[in-house]
This record gives sequence, structure tokens and C-alpha cells, in this order.
Amino acid sequence: MPIYNPTIQRLDMSELKRYSGLTKCTEFPQRLLDQACTEAQIISQPKASWQIYDYDASTSTILSPDPLSLPPTVISKHLANSLKVAVIAVTIGDNLEELVSEYFIKDEYTLGLLLDAAGTTAVELAADQACELIKQEANKQGYTTLFRFSPGYGQWDIRVQPQILALAHGHEINITATSTCMLLPRKSITAVIGLTPTVSSLPDKEAVERSKCEQCQQINCLSRKD
Amino acid sequence: MIYIFDGAMGTMLQNAGLPPGYCPELWNQEQPAVITAIHKSYIDSGSDIIETNTFGANRIKLTHYGLEKKVALLNTAAVQAARAACGPNTKIAGSVGPTGKLIVPLGDLSFDDAYDVFFEQISALDQAGVDMILIETIIDIQEMRAALLAAKAASKKPVICQMSFGADERTVTGTDPVTATIILEAMGADIIGVNCSLGPAQLLPIVEKIAQTTNCPISVQANAGMPSLINKQTVFPMQPEEMGLWAKKLVTAGARYIGGCCGTTPKHIKSIYQAVKNLNISALPAVQLAKKSTALTSRSKTIYLGADHPTVIIGERINPTGRKQLAADIASGQFISVKKEALSQVRAGAQLLDVNMGVPGIDQAKAMQYVIQELSMLVDTPLVIDTTDVNALEAGLKAYPGRALINSVSAESERLDSFLPLAKKYGAAILCLPISPTGVPKTAQDRLLVTQSIIHRAFDIGLKPGDFVLDALILTAAADASAGLEALATLKLYRQHLGYPTTMGLSNISFGLPRRDLINATFCAMALNAGLDAPILNPYDPLMQQTLAASALLLGHDPSGRSYSVNYAPTNQSEERAAPLTPKNIIEEIHLAIVSGEKEAVVPLVEQALKEGHSSIEISEQALTTAMNKVGIAFGSGQCFLPQVLLAAESMRAAFLTIKKELPAHTTTSLGTVILATVKGDIHDLGKNIVAALLENNGFTVIDLGKDISPEKIVEKTIEHQADIVGLCALMTTTMPQIDQTIAALKAAGCSAQTIVGGAVLTQEYANQANADSYAANGVDAVTIAKGFMADKVH
Repeated sequence: MPIYNPTIQRLDMSELKRYSGLTKCTEFPQRLLDQACTEAQIISQPKASWQIYDYDASTSTILSPDPLSLPPTVISKHLANSLKVAVIAVTIGDNLEELVSEYFIKDEYTLGLLLDAAGTTAVELAADQACELIKQEANKQGYTTLFRFSPGYGQWDIRVQPQILALAHGHEINITATSTCMLLPRKSITAVIGLTPTVSSLPDKEAVERSKCEQCQQINCLSRKD
Repeated sequence: MIYIFDGAMGTMLQNAGLPPGYCPELWNQEQPAVITAIHKSYIDSGSDIIETNTFGANRIKLTHYGLEKKVALLNTAAVQAARAACGPNTKIAGSVGPTGKLIVPLGDLSFDDAYDVFFEQISALDQAGVDMILIETIIDIQEMRAALLAAKAASKKPVICQMSFGADERTVTGTDPVTATIILEAMGADIIGVNCSLGPAQLLPIVEKIAQTTNCPISVQANAGMPSLINKQTVFPMQPEEMGLWAKKLVTAGARYIGGCCGTTPKHIKSIYQAVKNLNISALPAVQLAKKSTALTSRSKTIYLGADHPTVIIGERINPTGRKQLAADIASGQFISVKKEALSQVRAGAQLLDVNMGVPGIDQAKAMQYVIQELSMLVDTPLVIDTTDVNALEAGLKAYPGRALINSVSAESERLDSFLPLAKKYGAAILCLPISPTGVPKTAQDRLLVTQSIIHRAFDIGLKPGDFVLDALILTAAADASAGLEALATLKLYRQHLGYPTTMGLSNISFGLPRRDLINATFCAMALNAGLDAPILNPYDPLMQQTLAASALLLGHDPSGRSYSVNYAPTNQSEERAAPLTPKNIIEEIHLAIVSGEKEAVVPLVEQALKEGHSSIEISEQALTTAMNKVGIAFGSGQCFLPQVLLAAESMRAAFLTIKKELPAHTTTSLGTVILATVKGDIHDLGKNIVAALLENNGFTVIDLGKDISPEKIVEKTIEHQADIVGLCALMTTTMPQIDQTIAALKAAGCSAQTIVGGAVLTQEYANQANADSYAANGVDAVTIAKGFMADKVH
């Protein structure tokens, strides 16, 4: 699949507030939120790459040239009905995190925090768009796509990160993994998306979101949906 | 007349034994009889038009099979195989599918490379004798634009352009059918349509929308329903009879070329043929075209201009003339200011953005291409390409995945000769500027004549009535007393004699005068009444915004004044809010400003307090420290949130710096020295930075070592600075063990500093087992714990 550069034309303000801890805050200067959005939009360099592989659910194995066995945890259960998987890597580049650091150095902590949250919103939006491309291609062939599942969530050991990144061809969009399995640039995502035979009914989006969080043990996560 | 296309080729090839993974187009050369037989089966089922087996016969797709040098051979063989099946009335459409890559800026294939790939294939199809070119299954409008331009250059045959849309009625890259239709019709597509991705039920509303947008014939080739996967095979469920029923509805909606895509067979085509071939089209209800006017588009949005539509604001701010900072930004190739202007203008209500790269000494074509690409990713607002440089114009038009407005075309021969063909080629609209070779016409009547001469030349080139926006030309009122009146008269004459939408660069009128905003807004109101449809203006001007809102109501574009009322009706918000606290003195005022995070307000208050004789200690202890304590307590009880805490900290910092500036000798006593670090292997530092900011602004001396810091370095710095506290942060399970190792190293080195640990994955339990002295769940907790440590130490 080609490299895809998602567009960041609108950032969801409610997501930005969620990531910055403002969900329950009723009064906050809109000017700062707008500034964070504008700057994130301007300096983000969103890119996505992915590859689709056959998947053997009976052995929980991604049938890549160098097959990858998945652990018998939530990720395997999540992919139990999948015949294929899309392995995806997404980033918005490293400009944003540099600017966040600059803001802290200049004592503009709030803008630094908000910009970081806007960056998270942006990379998630970029991933959503790439997933939509995958979904439409999958739909054409009679597949339905599951929500994306990332290393480090739902008991899936983060140490698989370098292998997932390689399967997604993440190096083609300049994402690397550190020896401690963190992604560089920091505002990057890898994930696996299951492709299952099309079924007649799917749970509603909110239920899916809640279910994603219920499977995860990061109980202090700012993004957690109760 | 209704024309029947054929159905799927891939399905038929598989049934004929094409091995999985084998290049379908190679059978044009190796198994031409099979290809001819498939075509024949469709012709026997009623197809008037058959499509060559060349969907993937472009250089990029063929590279997957190592066949990239066989483009001409395989396309020619395909046409020959098709021709062998044809009856006397059968036509051959040369099928051109996508490259499989997205075009810059969405992807990594350049527009020029895409053009070359399509040109090569379409030339081969044309020379081999197809009757028409069918560009199909395209999801990126920019790829379709490249293919259509290549088709127009390589062939004189009719071109059919079919996009693929998703269930949300947009291509996956965001283009809706109306926008696609406007772009493609303007670029000269002969037939516009849709194929693949969806079944006929889902394509029906898309066909309806296309039909309401264009007079071009419409084509549709639906899949046989939405597929399922059965025994690992993609199965399209719709039976031929049902396809026939839908075909009738699609024709009623406006389609005149109809066939099938994935999953359809000769039986489906026969059913379609039987359902629609002999329909009496004249007896069908007429499709109502939307009111025609000049339409401009981005990739994903259409804006209509004209008397029947609300006033459209064209943002004027992306223009370096007289703006040194913007010019420098453009010259440096950064374009940060350009992007900020784009986003800010759109937020301020601009519906079109004028883009001018007129900085002396730069490569304007390169700048225009880059900016147009970048802005097309950043905003969905259609763009106006504002240049006098023909190379910059073509670079911008080529790069733009929409229908742009060219600003501008005057009646000067050089401009007419160079700009009008580009408008035609790239499907742009033109802004007609009534300047003749002899200069600026003084009277409205003369301006009308000049504009008419531009339009006549444009018609000769092939432009159409929907391609014009007329500029009434504003001169400076300070220099010419009749400037305003002539411009208004020109607008009226345009409306009376031509009827095309109108524009003006409003702010020219006030040049050299005081209160330009007042003159601009007043003139705008007059001009709107005289027939101005799309003023070019500064959208940040509040008086102008108010004038536009009121004018929309008065001119009938805001029914019942709903929008006006929403924006300008008085609200009771202030009454509903709790009454603000009234500070009793300057110290309380500072306290409140810190709590509220009003950084800008704090500085003059502190300056005033010092002037009034309050000591720095009094300000620090009674205003600043108590304010931060209050914020911390509010945070702990869930009444205040982290960004608000940081705002308060910033205000506190500003207050301290003001005291330091006013009283350079002033010193504050440090509460203690804290070493902060994100542990080795961990690259996250946002949380650590927040903790550092809060500790500093609560009186601690913070030595921030940064991220990815080894235990050895932390020990070394702790000893060097005789730190009282060491704060360690880890965000990931993979780096948590570094917390243990660092604490062990500190203890082994005999450091007596208290340790506080925190980070997303850390818990109190983990802190305990790592022998940390304390765990902080957040920055405010860290401050409280640090203060507690120091208080215990003192006692």
C-alpha cells in the first residue's frame, strides 16, 4: 500500500480537552485552545504506512514473511475471527514535540500541555483517516475492520513494538523504536486492525470505545472512557 | 438514448481460470481468445460498449509483475481482443484504472509522474483504436485530474470520468459527488459517473446528486450489492433480476450510460438491458438542475457565488504586499505565517482564500506550488490563485485538487493569451479585471465594455458562463472623488448586462484615509446592495463582520435574521454567572489574578503594589504563595484542572520575574533543591516538565536533567547539587525497572535525598517495592509531598 499523508483540517476540541484534562472544566480561555489547535495543525506532518497480511486465528499468528505469533491475551481474543490483519504505523513527525519543549523553556507551560494534547488528537485523527482507507478497501472484498489495537494496551506487551513497526513498514515514514520499545517521533502510533468476514450487525461506536477501555489496565489513563 | 456497458472483467477471468496472483492484462497477449469470448458474452447480453481488459495496464501496476515495459503491447492487444468481439454498433471504451498510489500531497506519487503514467497508457489505447477513454474507480480527485489531463492530451476521443465513493457519499480522500462533478466538468470530462465500491442502492443518491449538478451525460456501474466473505471468497449477493430493477431507478435518476462493476456477469447485464434499453427517456420525470452559478471547490467543499447565494467572503490576508513579516516567511520557505493566516481567516469566516506569493526575487512558481499543496491539506476552503506570473499560475493550478479562481485576467493581450488557456486546461474560473491595454477605464460604462471583451475572448477559448467572477475595480477615494460611485455603478451594470457574480478588493477604497475600517464597512454595505457577491476583505475586521451580518439579513440571505440574532442578541450570561469577587486591596487583586491564571494582568498589579510600598516578601507570601496553595487545594478536590494549575503557575512566574525586575536585589529563599529526571530509556518528558514548572513556582530550586537519564548521572548530579529531593519519572512498563535501579544506585552512593516517583504506569505499590520514599500521582501532589519532606527536614 502507498504511503498516505492524512489531512489535519479540524481537530476535535472535545478530544483535545480530554487529553489535556479539561473534560470537566467549564471555563477555560478558548484563545489558548484555539492557539494549540492552530499550531498543531500547522506543524504536524502526518504520515501513515501499513501492510495487510493473512492471519491464522487458530495459532494467533500474523502470516508475514517472518510470521509473528501473538500472545494468548486480549489481542488474540480480539482477532479471533480475523482472516487478515492490517498492521499500521502513523506519525505526525517530531516538530510538535520540539515546540512543546520550547514552550516549557519559555515558561508557557499551559500552551505546552495543550499543544501536546493537540498533537495526540492529531495523530489519532491521522490514524482514523488511515483506518478509513483500510476499511473501505476491506469492505470491497467482503471484510469488516475491527477497531485498531496497539502494543502496550490491553495486556499486550509493549516489547512487540519493534516487530509491529517493521510489519507496518514504519521505517518508510521515519518511525523508529528505541531499545525500550518507545516510538520516535513520540507522537506516533502502531496498531493491528483485524479484518473479519462482514457480519450483519456491529456494536455501536460508543460501545466499542468503552469496550476498548475496559480491556485496558491503564486505569489512570487520561483517555479512559468510563 | 441509453447505452449499456458491460460487467465485471475480473470475475469472468477468474471463472475462465486466471490463476490467483497472475497479471490479468497479460492474458490480452497470452489468451486473447478468452478475452474476446468474455467481451462477446457481454455483447450478446446487450452491451453497447465493452471495456478493454486494461484496468491495471499502467506502468506502475504492471511493475508488480515485471511487465512495466509492456504497457503499449498489452493495451494494444487488449483493444485488438475487444475489437475481435465487436459487432457493427459496439463501441470500445479503453479502461484506465488507478495507479494504486496516492498523489502528492496525500501520497508520494508526483502529479507529473502520474500524468506521464496515464499519458503512456491512454496513448496506447488511443492509437490501438478505442472509441472512448474510461477513467474509472478513482478515489483521489488529484489522480483523476492527472488522468483527465493526460487523456485530453493523448486523445481526441470522449473521456468518461468515474470516481468511487464510500457509503458516506464521499471518496475516501474526502471528495463528494457534487464537488467532483464540478471539477471534472470544468476540466472537460465528456461523461461523468461513478463505479465500484457500492451496490446500486447506495449509488442511487450519488447519481441523483451528480444529475442535479451537471448537464453532462452520467454513467454508473455498480457492484452486484455489498459483498460478503464466504469460504474466504468475496461474494457479491445481488441477483441479476434485482440489478435490473435498480437499473431502472438509476436511469430515472439521470444515468444514461449503465453497466456493472465487481460481481456482475453477463446475466446481470442482460437484466439491465431488458430493464432499461427501451425505456422512453422523454417520459421520465425531468431531473431538476440546481441553479447554475459560478462554483469554486476545494478537494472536499463547493462554494457557490452569485445573486442567488449568500455573500461569500474572500480572505485577503495571504498577500505579502506591504507586510514584511509575511514576505520574509514566504522568502524563507517556512510558510508558517501563511498557514496561520489561512487557519485564522477561515475561523474568522472567510469562505475563499486569496493566495498571493508576490515576493520579489523568489521562485514564485515553486512557492505557489508548495503553498497550494500545503493549504489544500490544511483547510477545506477553496482557493483563489492571485498572481501575475504565468508559471506560478500553472504551478498552482496543477497542484490544486479543486476548482480554483484565477485572480486575475485583464484585457491586456499578454494576460489573455497566457491565462485563459490555463483556465480552460485546469478547469479554473477567472476573475475578470477591467483593465485594458490603455489603462484603467474611468467610467462604469467603459469598465463594462472592457469586461465584456475579456468574456468574449474567454468564450473563444472555450470557457463557459459559469466560469466568471467580475471585478468592479475600486480606486482610492482619497485620490479620486468618484472612485466609490463608479465602482458601485459598475456593479449595477454587471448585474444588469452580464449577471455573473461580482467581487472587489474592498480595502483599496480607504487607502490613505483615517478609520479605514469605517470606510471599508460602509462601502461594503453600499456595494452589497449594488450587487457585490464576493468581497475581498480582511475577515478579522469586527466592524466589517457586523456589517456583513446585518447586510445578510437586510438583503434576504439570513431568513428571519436567525444567524444575526444568534450572534448579536444580548445574552443573560453575565447575570447567570456568580458575581465576581471584589478584591479589597492590591494584594488580594494579585492573589485573584494568580488563581484565575491572568498572566497579563499580574505584571502591572505587582508593579503597582511595589509602587504603593508593599514589600516583595508581603507580595510573595500573602498573594503569590497563598494563591498557589489555593489552586493546589482546588485541584486536589477536583474543582480545578491541570491546565488551570499551569496557568496559575505561569502567572506566578510572571509575578516573580516582575519583582526581580523592579527589585534586582530581591532574593527568595529556596525551599530546597530538587533533581528531576525521566529515567534511562524513557523519552517522555511532558509530565516531568509539568512537575518542574510547579516545583519552581512553589519556591524550589529545580535541576532538570531531562529525559533518558542514566542512574549514574542522577547520582552524580544529586551529590554535586546536594539535592534534598530526587524526582524520578517513567512512563512505560519497559522503563519502570530503571526507577528501581536508580533508587538503588542513590542508596548505594549514600545519598540521603528523598525520592519521589511518578509517571503514567507507576502506582503506589510499585513505588513501595522500588523503595521510593514517596509516590506522586500528579504534579500538584509532587509539590505537596516535596513541601512535606522539607518541613519534616527543618523540624
